[in-house]
Amino acid sequence: MAIHLRPRRGRRARRIMVSAMRDCFANYHPVVNLLYFALVIAFSMLLTHPVAQILALVCAVTYAVSIEGRKSVGFLLKFCLPMVLLTAFINPAFNHEGTTILFYFGSGNPLTLESILYGFSAGAMLVTVILWFSAFSRVMTSDKFIYLFGKVIPALSLVLSMSLRFVPKFKKQMETVVEAQKCIGRDISTGSLWQRFKTGVVILSIMITWALENAIETADSMKSRGYGVKGRTAFSIYRMDDRDKYALVWLGFCGLFLTAGVMLSAFGFRYFPSIRYAALDMTTIPFYAVYFGLCVTPVLLNALEERKWKTIYSKM
Amino acid sequence: MRSVLSFLIALLLLFAFCSCNGNYTDVDLQKPVALPEDGVVEKELLDKIKQENAIATFTGASNGLSYEWKVFGSDLEETRDVSFLVTLEKTEGGIKVSFAHGEAFGFPALLSIRLDEKWTALAATAYRDGEAISSVSITGSDASILNLSVKDQIGSCIILPDAEKESNGVGANRPSSDGSATGQDQYQTDPVPEGKPLPVEPENQEINQGKSYTCTFSIECSTILNNLADLDPDKLGLIPRDGVILAPTAVTFYEGESVFDVLQRVCKEKGIHLEFSWTPIYNSAYIEGIHNLYEFDCGALSGWMYRVNGWYPNYGCSRYQLVDGEVVEWRYTCDLGEDVGREGSW
Repeated sequence: MAIHLRPRRGRRARRIMVSAMRDCFANYHPVVNLLYFALVIAFSMLLTHPVAQILALVCAVTYAVSIEGRKSVGFLLKFCLPMVLLTAFINPAFNHEGTTILFYFGSGNPLTLESILYGFSAGAMLVTVILWFSAFSRVMTSDKFIYLFGKVIPALSLVLSMSLRFVPKFKKQMETVVEAQKCIGRDISTGSLWQRFKTGVVILSIMITWALENAIETADSMKSRGYGVKGRTAFSIYRMDDRDKYALVWLGFCGLFLTAGVMLSAFGFRYFPSIRYAALDMTTIPFYAVYFGLCVTPVLLNALEERKWKTIYSKM
Repeated sequence: MRSVLSFLIALLLLFAFCSCNGNYTDVDLQKPVALPEDGVVEKELLDKIKQENAIATFTGASNGLSYEWKVFGSDLEETRDVSFLVTLEKTEGGIKVSFAHGEAFGFPALLSIRLDEKWTALAATAYRDGEAISSVSITGSDASILNLSVKDQIGSCIILPDAEKESNGVGANRPSSDGSATGQDQYQTDPVPEGKPLPVEPENQEINQGKSYTCTFSIECSTILNNLADLDPDKLGLIPRDGVILAPTAVTFYEGESVFDVLQRVCKEKGIHLEFSWTPIYNSAYIEGIHNLYEFDCGALSGWMYRVNGWYPNYGCSRYQLVDGEVVEWRYTCDLGEDVGREGSW
């Protein structure tokens, strides 16, 4: 195993590894992936306690940066940060509830501290959930999705998988078509505005025809292969190993423990009309620790894998 | 695979249930407790109310009339056995209330008496030996509820409805309705009853800072205390003991100002929270919340209404031009105004 993995051009391989770590968590069984994302997304939307929100946000950012490297830093700075600030500014403009009045707007309504804090909280939640979903779409590829749901809900899972695939596939095909059209003189980057428009419409028409035909072909193809027929098995490269079982047990434990925490209102936080919250003490800190443990799971697994890899590598 | 799925679904359902149960609020609402025959509430129970910072309700009945006590845990200091027994007797035009407790409570408690009839007076007053000792607010939809804050009172008192004051709100420069109009105006206002002031449009009003007058302003929400079970639990901590957010206060205003202008200024001066939204189709501001108590916070029919000289105008507060000496009351309703003395139907 180790011999196969040994990179021929060591220096280059190492450079790639530094910029973007390989995602070992994505190699776990799809059930583990799905359960993990179901848990983190549900709890990110449920918990409004700032400490829990910060923990989730830090983990989601770390995961994104460790997998995608520089690309995601740009996304965070250009999209996520403005989003948090925007909601923090927009919310108090429309929501004037709260007992701490800071000053009055020109219109006469008050600006309250609670509405600003709520705006920050809502923004952080939005960004966290977006980051989790982008990680979800990266990890839960369509083959995993079909593998998980192909038998239970065959039609729906095929439709879902096809539609999830549609945008990137459409983009790729579009590039091909644009290039091909360029060769026969229909270039959208030159000519008068009218000409470009005409070319654009031709390309769009080609793309729509292609998309419809492609969808029908995919459906026919799947049907001819007996997709969804009873008793038919599906090829899969997924195996429930011991590590997957351990991961499942850990995720199940986190889910139950955190549910109990929510029931005991360990994550309780109220913004309106005045801020009230569950205090951080010896009875609530374990819940926050487990929540952090849950969110950080993939980052931690990747780090352990990295370390293991390096140990093997240096021995060679 | 199915078991994993059902596990996930069960987990999600569980989350949905859990999210409604948080109890990190500052005030707890206890279930009503029926008073025993001697009306004595023991020290232990009062200690519990104090410890939980709860709002407790004790119910009793006397001569066919029922009454209710509201005790706020945060008000209790030294506790002892307290008798909450009350004897109610109907006298001519009023109610005689006899308390059984020998010494003053030492904490404010709100007594709500449910009558079997409807009082049409704007408010009532409690008298002892012919002397007014406390004002009493009247709420209740079908039958009136009298709300009286009791702290130092012992012995007995008589509650009488206030006599109707002569409406002095007809100003020379404000047109009144002659009752002849039919159909709605351009801002969907039904005909104004005869003798009541007609709405004016805020954009046409000129405020003359040179001429100042006085009116009486008050803000209260005592009907919430009769409907605490419907109240958003997060808002329990906001409710004043006697429901009074702003006791009747003399307020200076300038010629041409509307009820809304004055409300806004009063709230700013007194530091009372106020949120409104401008509603073009009624050409008026709509008061969404005062003192962080919002519309729909106490049931689907709840919100803020205003009454001037005993009449609830059928148009927005930006279109009501005030004249000297008018009495403006902002009252929270839990029943589209039925419980705060609005007459007629929509």
